[in-house]
Amino acid sequence: MSIAAAAPARFAFGTRDEPGRAAWILLGPCMLYLVVFSIYPLFHSLRLSLTDLTAATGTGNFVGLANYRALLVDPQFWNATWNSAILVTCSVAVQVVLGVALAVFFNLHLRGAWIVRGILLLPMLMTPIVVGVMWRALLNPDWGVIDWAIKAVGLSPPDWLGSVEMARVTVVLVDCWQWTPFVFMIVFARLQALPQEVFEAAQVDGAGPFVTFRRITLPMLMPAIVFATVFRAVDAFRSFDLIYGLSYGGPARSTTTLSFFAFQNGFQFQNYGYAAASSYMMLLILAVGTTILLKYVQLRPGTSR
Amino acid sequence: MKIRPGRILAYIVLVVLGLVGAAPFLYLAILSTKKRIEILAQVPPKLSFSWAQAAKNYNEVLFSQGMLSFTLNSIIVVSIATFIAIVIGTPAAYAFSRLRFRQSEQLANTILSMRFMPPIAVAIPLFLMVKAAGLQDSYAGLVLPYVAFSLPLVVWIMIGFFDEIPAEIDEAAMIDGCTRVSVLWHVMLPIVRPGLVTAALFGALFIWNEFLVALYVIDSRGFQTISLGAATLVSAQRPIDWNIAATVGVVTVIPILIFSLFIQRYIVRGLTVGAVK
Repeated sequence: MSIAAAAPARFAFGTRDEPGRAAWILLGPCMLYLVVFSIYPLFHSLRLSLTDLTAATGTGNFVGLANYRALLVDPQFWNATWNSAILVTCSVAVQVVLGVALAVFFNLHLRGAWIVRGILLLPMLMTPIVVGVMWRALLNPDWGVIDWAIKAVGLSPPDWLGSVEMARVTVVLVDCWQWTPFVFMIVFARLQALPQEVFEAAQVDGAGPFVTFRRITLPMLMPAIVFATVFRAVDAFRSFDLIYGLSYGGPARSTTTLSFFAFQNGFQFQNYGYAAASSYMMLLILAVGTTILLKYVQLRPGTSR
Repeated sequence: MKIRPGRILAYIVLVVLGLVGAAPFLYLAILSTKKRIEILAQVPPKLSFSWAQAAKNYNEVLFSQGMLSFTLNSIIVVSIATFIAIVIGTPAAYAFSRLRFRQSEQLANTILSMRFMPPIAVAIPLFLMVKAAGLQDSYAGLVLPYVAFSLPLVVWIMIGFFDEIPAEIDEAAMIDGCTRVSVLWHVMLPIVRPGLVTAALFGALFIWNEFLVALYVIDSRGFQTISLGAATLVSAQRPIDWNIAATVGVVTVIPILIFSLFIQRYIVRGLTVGAVK
């Protein structure tokens, strides 16, 4: 601690027991980089959202909150918000339930289970656009193998990506195929790390498997479940490339999520101001959502819970 | 363990799970060896295999359509971006782990929350910046934004690893006359090597599939990345040639397959740092 005392005061970075110069050297490059390439673009985006900039008209004029006002009365915006809400809620709910079930299942330690764990790792590493295209092939109404299998057992397959209601379900299903393993891996890791004595004690006390799961396993898994839920919710909200590959927002905009809506306005229609405003609405929803969630989870690892 | 009906059922479930995970890939692989017309005519596809047709499809995708060079572009861009993110992210993570200055907690949380930022919110400004710097259609035009995307994740993972190293080690080295920076360089880096590998793997993974910024920044085919190349190949031509689309799919899966072999050892730490303690 004598080193701290020797540090010249003018370099102090509000430190208590460390030379401030070290903090500047260590943190400086990272902070500078993020200010230039993350914070500044965010502010630029905010400024864009107050202009009528399009790719066609090079100079955007300041229009105040007009874009936001237009958004709030745009039925397409509310449609996209609604679709995002459905997608995030349904996929995360299914993924958490299935992911926990998988974790418990793999805790049986069946022989050869590690091979299946390795296979389940692949979907979440895959390029989402390719996942979308792959499932379009599997679900193709004319020659897709899934429809063929359903017909082979005498049932009639649903119109996976053709009808408004079913397309939403299909997007959720494919998202679950890709991301349930993520929840599973996190919950499973936690399950492996739980102290075995607790389960032995429960067994000695005569608790059945259901009671043990409900009263002991589940509460101890809760931190991992919450962590996985937060990550999945935010990533499902952010993602748009699965939709790009799978349904391109259709049919009849039934799978146009907020990210896809902002993407279409920005890239396809090149309506930069409007796109920036809609992405700021997303940030607002994210900020409110994560503030609420962060009351329950700690972002930063290592600090005491 | 005795053989019980429950046990047999469990193994059946295990096999079904493996199939649900792997069958879509196998289907894609089968389609990638067919003629366009065979896919439409044979339902389900016959398991006959023709070297000539497979070679034709893969030749078309890898060379004529350029997927091989797109893959190389991705490897170059992602490697450089990940390297820069590690170089500037590791010292920052070390500082957050060891120095407790005013607002360090809030600052760390701000950086970590950038992991959650929707790319759509910054894509247009980043594109305008890259354009203003004249870096459209260049590796640098992708590397610069990608470093910013993977940096929060790298910092996040590295904080977790530094927090596990007892602070007494630093103190001992500092009593021996090391400064903070030289402690990081000479003492910490060798210890934290598994952390560096984990952070690099996950930082790379985080940007490997990036698509939106690339869509804005890259115009020419010469600099397309793997996800952008795949997207243009399967969506530009309508109706899709499904044998070509399936081949594109398989080609994108191969690097991931190789990558997953490397990542197995680190996956749990990389996904759960902070969640599992």
